[in-house]
Amino acid sequence: MTSESAQDRDELAGEYVLGTLSFEQRSEVQRRLPNDPELRAAVDAWERRLLELTDLAPSQQPSALLWPRIERSLDRLTTKAPSTSWWNLLPLWRGLSAIGLAATLILGSILLTQTTPKPNFLVVLVAPQDKAPGWVIQASNSREIQLIPLGVVEVPADKALEFWTKADGWQGPVSLGLVKPGQALSVPLDKLPPLQPNQLFELTLEGTNGSPIGKPTGPIQAIGRAVKVL
Amino acid sequence: MPLAESAFDYEARLAACARGERSALRDLYVQEGPRLLGVAKRLVRDTALAEDVVHEAFIKIWNGAAGFDPARGSARGWMFSVTRHLALNLLRDHGRETPFSEAHETAADDSFDAHAHSARIYHCLEQLEPQRRSCVLHAYVDGYSHAQIAARLDTPLGTVKAWIKRSLNALRECMG
Repeated sequence: MTSESAQDRDELAGEYVLGTLSFEQRSEVQRRLPNDPELRAAVDAWERRLLELTDLAPSQQPSALLWPRIERSLDRLTTKAPSTSWWNLLPLWRGLSAIGLAATLILGSILLTQTTPKPNFLVVLVAPQDKAPGWVIQASNSREIQLIPLGVVEVPADKALEFWTKADGWQGPVSLGLVKPGQALSVPLDKLPPLQPNQLFELTLEGTNGSPIGKPTGPIQAIGRAVKVL
Repeated sequence: MPLAESAFDYEARLAACARGERSALRDLYVQEGPRLLGVAKRLVRDTALAEDVVHEAFIKIWNGAAGFDPARGSARGWMFSVTRHLALNLLRDHGRETPFSEAHETAADDSFDAHAHSARIYHCLEQLEPQRRSCVLHAYVDGYSHAQIAARLDTPLGTVKAWIKRSLNALRECMG
């Protein structure tokens, strides 16, 4: 795809919201929206600008059958995933047992490697949906961190994992580079301020060369905050 | 009877939907159902089809409530966007290019009275030449394609496309 100027992007967003794009162009915009924050921002701005024009269409009372029909569809959606008590939530127990395992591994590794200085910061990166831990980060000093995988994650062939961090008060997240699944990694932090408690770390799914705009654009695969070890 | 928009907390209802509270979706439906159906009907020009769109929109609103990001716009605006884009997808789908009848009521035929509306967009539209304003209204409110607008205004397709591009630029300047 050729590079798109801000002007082109804004015109595309404007015509998308206006409704004059062809079916193919609309589908293309809708395909791009989840992963293209600049296009999304342009579309959002047009949605806000033109929203009040919806007043020009006169209201129409829905038939009495429409709400029951919506409810029936929602019932069908929710019966597929019946609500269960927390006691029966597999992801919860999976997550908790994995956190336990992670803690054991971390504490074990600390015990076995007492010759090296004990880490003064730890981060457990968990999946946002089921809180299953995927990685731990340990830092023995505030200038370098180790990213340690707890398992192998699947990354699509045309994607890569990008590693980010952001401390409170920073303008935005900073990339720490691309990460190969299943491989431990040492990352120097010499260009960044020293580690802080509560500093955010995350791994997002980006294109093979990483995010094109230097900010996370893809879905979060794992996320966690730094905890100071006493 | 729908409440005034300012008195109704759309964001709170959406957050309740995200927690699985069906009554909050019902509140949103009572509040905006008639206006959303009106918007959809104007676009797809058929009541049954418009109800299909609103049905699908409320499923999408329910499922999307947890992912709604208030930083991107208002909850009310999001509900209208969801509904309009479902209707537009239907309109632009292959073979569905609906021929319009001359009798069809359209936005641009309504005598355009910018002073009847307080929102800034009406002030900005008023600054456009009437034919260019018609292009914008036929597209956004009536769901007309470039070709349908060209036929309606009896103007070459290329001219209509250029008018729309320039009108959008002018509106962006005016709206900020």
